[in-house]
Amino acid sequence: MSSAQLEIQIIASLVAIACAIPGTFLVLRKMAMISDAISHSILPGIVIGFFITQDLNSPLLILLAAITGVITVVLVEYIQKTGLVKEDTAIGLVFPVLFSIGVIMIAKNANDVHLDIDAVLLGELAFAPFDRLLISGVDVGPKSLWIIGSILFITIVLLVAFFKELKLSTFDKGLAASLGFSPVIIHYGLMSVSSITTVGAFDAVGAILVVALMIAPAAAAYLLTTDLKKMLILSVVFGVFSAISGYWFAHWLDASIAGSITTMLGVLFLAVYLFAPSKGIIAVMYREKQQRTEVSLLTFLLHLKNHDDERERHVNHLNEHINWQKVRSKTVLDLALKNNMIRIDNKIVSLTTKGDEFTTQAIDYIMTNEDSQIEDMKEDFFLFRG
Amino acid sequence: MTKIAVQIDDLTVAYNYKPVLWDIDLEIPEGVLMAIVGPNGAGKSTLIKAILGILKPIAGSVSIYGKSYKKQRSLVAYVPQKGSVDWDFPTTALDVVLMGTYGSLGWIKRPTQKEKKAALEALEKVGMLPFKNRQISQLSGGQQQRIFLARALVQDASIYFMDEPFQGVDATTEIAIINILKELRKAGKTVIVVHHDLQTVPEYFDWVTFLNVKKIATGPVKDIFNDDNLTKTYGINYKVSIQE
Repeated sequence: MSSAQLEIQIIASLVAIACAIPGTFLVLRKMAMISDAISHSILPGIVIGFFITQDLNSPLLILLAAITGVITVVLVEYIQKTGLVKEDTAIGLVFPVLFSIGVIMIAKNANDVHLDIDAVLLGELAFAPFDRLLISGVDVGPKSLWIIGSILFITIVLLVAFFKELKLSTFDKGLAASLGFSPVIIHYGLMSVSSITTVGAFDAVGAILVVALMIAPAAAAYLLTTDLKKMLILSVVFGVFSAISGYWFAHWLDASIAGSITTMLGVLFLAVYLFAPSKGIIAVMYREKQQRTEVSLLTFLLHLKNHDDERERHVNHLNEHINWQKVRSKTVLDLALKNNMIRIDNKIVSLTTKGDEFTTQAIDYIMTNEDSQIEDMKEDFFLFRG
Repeated sequence: MTKIAVQIDDLTVAYNYKPVLWDIDLEIPEGVLMAIVGPNGAGKSTLIKAILGILKPIAGSVSIYGKSYKKQRSLVAYVPQKGSVDWDFPTTALDVVLMGTYGSLGWIKRPTQKEKKAALEALEKVGMLPFKNRQISQLSGGQQQRIFLARALVQDASIYFMDEPFQGVDATTEIAIINILKELRKAGKTVIVVHHDLQTVPEYFDWVTFLNVKKIATGPVKDIFNDDNLTKTYGINYKVSIQE
């Protein structure tokens, strides 16, 4: 592995981490689309910054572009506040306008400006190691490494300092306001960090794919944990994993690095979406199937409780009477037997003491909807886990 | 004479230039357990939010023990409507209660063992200690409301504002909550509750404010909770039998 390869992977990983942190809060605030808007509408900021500085890595350019990002948020909120259109419509109105201003500016000045739309949209990670930062003639590494490193450092400092405030205002804006933590300040702080990160990352992965790095790792992490800190750590891990595996995927395919990183993010999210232990699609389907069986079990137990007549409790009669297919009846009978709820003597089914108590308790729960008595039952049965 | 806990003068709040609260004058004496009642859209929640500075009024002023809310934040605890937050948020019951301590901590500082101990005590008081590490989406509606109440208790305030604490809770929780509110009153605290169920007003509260964009009436339940005021507030002939 050459040093250029290593540098590219480090830059990609730092970009992924810098995106995952604000991304986590954007996902929790249901503001994923705002990152899409910001990533597009910073274009005019970048172009104007480039006219002034002639350097894509200039801090002034980053600042100008980030301001355009924050202006986008302000405009979206302003339009939304008029009550004439909804938020998603407002987003859809604002960012294409700003983006197209950027596109026109590039096209009109194509001869003077060494800035092409491909690079803006998709990034030029492969070229990042060529643009070196020289401090008194000494090569200290690629410029973009320093830029994204600085942005990441600031992001982490802000996250550690204001973690409590961010959590509170994300969960409960009203309480945050009443306790004196202005949700407006925190909101615009987060928007500013998101904008600056987007500008810093755009050089590496381009305006479009920044969105994927912000949203996909956080969305995947959300499905795996119920703890905000763990969600942040998982987002970061997923981001770095996609950055590095994406790089080697691109290397192997000889294709765009940004495209490959995003593909890896997509694959990763899909895997989590399918296989997450409690919120994944497969787990949910399994749980629903279990719940159906348990509802059947309860129906069956209730039937037994309500009928003393032996005819009503004969195994064959149950098949016809409750109107289930053979397989279903067998599953339910087996489940009841396994849990010592019933006993079968000479094909006559009857409730055991445990089965009788369980039925009474379960019915009671369903009727009164009280929680206290159900806690132990929850361990054994999916049905009552809500 | 009893002290005035909350004083509201000429308060008008508008959404997009449409007044939702009009020229409210209200004095809430210290130590009452007060219900705010009124039809949907009467501005009950808005009134609380305006008192707490969450909404900016277009006219009027609010004072808490004679000073502006900003200076008296530490004296006030707030329980928002349960539906105002996302219960799928990745956090635990204990962590939500800890949020009640953030106000006294101020910016940047983190909760320490002391705050954690206070939060655990508050959970104990509402009977939710066994659930402290449970993710909040795994709690029932009544349990979630108790967590919100614990979060307010941990603030150890003088005045408690609660926005529909009985909404969507089971009967046991409702009784548990009202008992805690009555204890707060006994301890000399002022409790202000946005309330929907008119039947329970005489049983739960000793003070009531009728609100429908304007203030209709305010005072002791035994004096003013009558058909006349109910009719004025709800605009239809109202008959409730009131236990004397």
